[in-house]
Amino acid sequence: MKKVLMGNEAVAYSLFINGVNVVVGYPGTPSTEVIETLKNFQDDDFYVEWSTNEKVALEIAAGASLAGARAVATMKQVGLNVAADPLLSLSVVGVEGGLIVFVADDPGPHSSQTEQDTRNFARFCNLPVFDPSSPKEAFELIKPAFEISEKYNLPVLYRMTTRVCHSNQSIEFELKREKRRIKGFEKRPDWVILPALSYKKHVELEKKLQDIKKDLSVYNRVEGKGKIGIITGGVSYFYVKEAIKGFEDLFSILKITVAHPLDDEIVLGFVEDKEVLIFIEELDPVLEEEVKLILFENGKLLPVYGKRNGYVPFAGEFDVDKVRNIFYKILSDEKFLVRNTFVDVLQIPKRQAQLCAGCPHRNSFLIVKYAMKGKDVIFTGDIGCYTLGFAKPISTTDTCLCMGASITMAQGLKIADRSKKVISFIGDSTFFHSGITGLVNSYYNRHNITVCILDNLTTGMTGFQPHPGTGKKIYGEEGRKVSIEDIVKGIGVEKILVIDPYSDFTENVNKVREFLKDEELGVIIFRRECANMGSKESYLKINQNCSNCKGCMQITGCPALKEDENGNIFIDSALCNGCGLCKSFCPYSAIEKVMKDD
Amino acid sequence: MTDIIIAGVGGQGNILLSRVICQLYTNKGFDVKSAENIGMSQRGGSVVSYIRTGENVGPIIPDNMADILIGLEMCEAARNVNKINKDSIVVLNDRFIRFNSLDFKKNQIVKFFELNFPKLRIVSAYDIAVKLDMPKAENIVMLALVCKDGFLPFSKEEILKALEQVLRPKMYEMNKILVENIYEKY
Repeated sequence: MKKVLMGNEAVAYSLFINGVNVVVGYPGTPSTEVIETLKNFQDDDFYVEWSTNEKVALEIAAGASLAGARAVATMKQVGLNVAADPLLSLSVVGVEGGLIVFVADDPGPHSSQTEQDTRNFARFCNLPVFDPSSPKEAFELIKPAFEISEKYNLPVLYRMTTRVCHSNQSIEFELKREKRRIKGFEKRPDWVILPALSYKKHVELEKKLQDIKKDLSVYNRVEGKGKIGIITGGVSYFYVKEAIKGFEDLFSILKITVAHPLDDEIVLGFVEDKEVLIFIEELDPVLEEEVKLILFENGKLLPVYGKRNGYVPFAGEFDVDKVRNIFYKILSDEKFLVRNTFVDVLQIPKRQAQLCAGCPHRNSFLIVKYAMKGKDVIFTGDIGCYTLGFAKPISTTDTCLCMGASITMAQGLKIADRSKKVISFIGDSTFFHSGITGLVNSYYNRHNITVCILDNLTTGMTGFQPHPGTGKKIYGEEGRKVSIEDIVKGIGVEKILVIDPYSDFTENVNKVREFLKDEELGVIIFRRECANMGSKESYLKINQNCSNCKGCMQITGCPALKEDENGNIFIDSALCNGCGLCKSFCPYSAIEKVMKDD
Repeated sequence: MTDIIIAGVGGQGNILLSRVICQLYTNKGFDVKSAENIGMSQRGGSVVSYIRTGENVGPIIPDNMADILIGLEMCEAARNVNKINKDSIVVLNDRFIRFNSLDFKKNQIVKFFELNFPKLRIVSAYDIAVKLDMPKAENIVMLALVCKDGFLPFSKEEILKALEQVLRPKMYEMNKILVENIYEKY
């Protein structure tokens, strides 16, 4: 069958076809669709789940692998930081059933805190890393990734980038699953990592990598015979192919699909007759550094252009035009100069990302903001939709670092800046992911901060995945529900307030103001289902009392409030879900609720 | 080889439209590649899809190279004109979604397109979608109009087949009626 598949879907299909038994992960753009796709498949030897965080996921995958199952942990690049501890040890301990660590990198970045390069992680952990260039290649390389993992008893990193994860391609395949027998766990001293064993295994690992090099080198290939050598990998390979279209004779390409460990032979063969080398790779100069080492060790010297001498940018993602510009800079050849057709283009300003219409977080932020009006407060934020609490006019997020850091950074701020009130915001899924330990620390060490848990009963930003607080599992079936209140109480926190952010605004402000009066550690749980999940029972409309003061719009920033061509304000009934927040700020009683009949 | 760019704002169904067009080309035997930006709260933000039918190409359309620009929203269409050239076909939805820092008026943008693109067609996809009681289907309205007017080489039957492959059954039934309506009345 021929089907259009997104890169992540292609990986999912291929995993299933190649007999994967256990797939676990934590959602994060651009990695999420691997598991979202796999949950549509079922088999008696196949299990898939959303785990509470990436460390948990990788450790589950490791356990399954030790029992002989083919296992995968999926995450985005920053998720790999969370899972770094088990990964580094796992490279020494080793695996039994094939284990793939799927990591989605995000050059740009489009939706991440960092642009970090997982190929560097592969060097750091001494593990092989596949770097597919397209959905089709992503589909094809799963099989060898499992086989290499099983042959050498090592986890394999499968690194893709946004433009591979989220691009689509027609792929021809047969949906037929390879059935394997899972042999079960065998007790072996190898599985218990102790310092003496770790040393012995490290020696073995270094030796293994030398052998793997040869096996993996078949996935790297040389194209063309030109004197200008381009070394590239990942999606950049296609940008290069297009940039040299029409002048192919001048160039030859070394396409690196396995960036680590890199085999000397293919590199030395490639550079033999080259006059110059150009490295085209997004993010870190991984290929550039590896190849340069090989050249140096073999006494080869030739002109090299890359990131290290400033010809290729370190930051941001590439495209064909950027690659052409790089060639133009290096070769001073007019034919690579990119000229734009239009001189006088309209400069349309950026559309700022914002909380959705009716997002309960908007209400929660404003309740706290109004309760603290006139006070000196620091608001720490976290990772999720609600990071947008920093945007105007909400402006209630002063810091954002990584998952869970709102609660812990708040404690540091409180220690160093005693005079200020510190209030942290964290989402429900993030609280389970890595907020709990921070709250434990706050209780134990008597850090008197306030933690606001914005519970919208889902993992909103990545597309409504369930989590322990929802009690639903990946297929929507019953798991067990973990109560946020009980966790907070169980830690020992006595001051707890639960608020429905949609209920009366003024009343909520008063409750929160009262709650925040003293300096004790306290937790406020704002609970209301994500605006994109519930059915809309009502919407708001503006009546003739409106003086067009635009206060509602300027205070809430709700995208359902819009201006028409003549500057008159109106409410987009398709977006509005009747939360009533804007109504609280209208001095003219000009906003009224309309119930939907059906 | 055909390069198509679809520009709009989150919530207009840009990515679904891109999926359907990919399926249409795949059904015709082409190798299709496409890319879309999704992720960090694109609801209400800019959304762009690229569709390419050539071999050995990357997912992103280079500057000046797109053959067709489908603009689901005017500002977003204007934002992406660096991807097209004077010979490109531009099909523009008569929809203008304001945002706070914007100081352009709708007719300024229309004028810009009229001045620069001889192959311009402005359609009222949103108005039609609203009239047919499916305000969220301006994407499929656009598709039907674009195909009906011969800008994309697909018949009504081919559209329906692709929709059936891509959409869930209930959504397919609704969109089927929509497409039939457009071919009959618009």
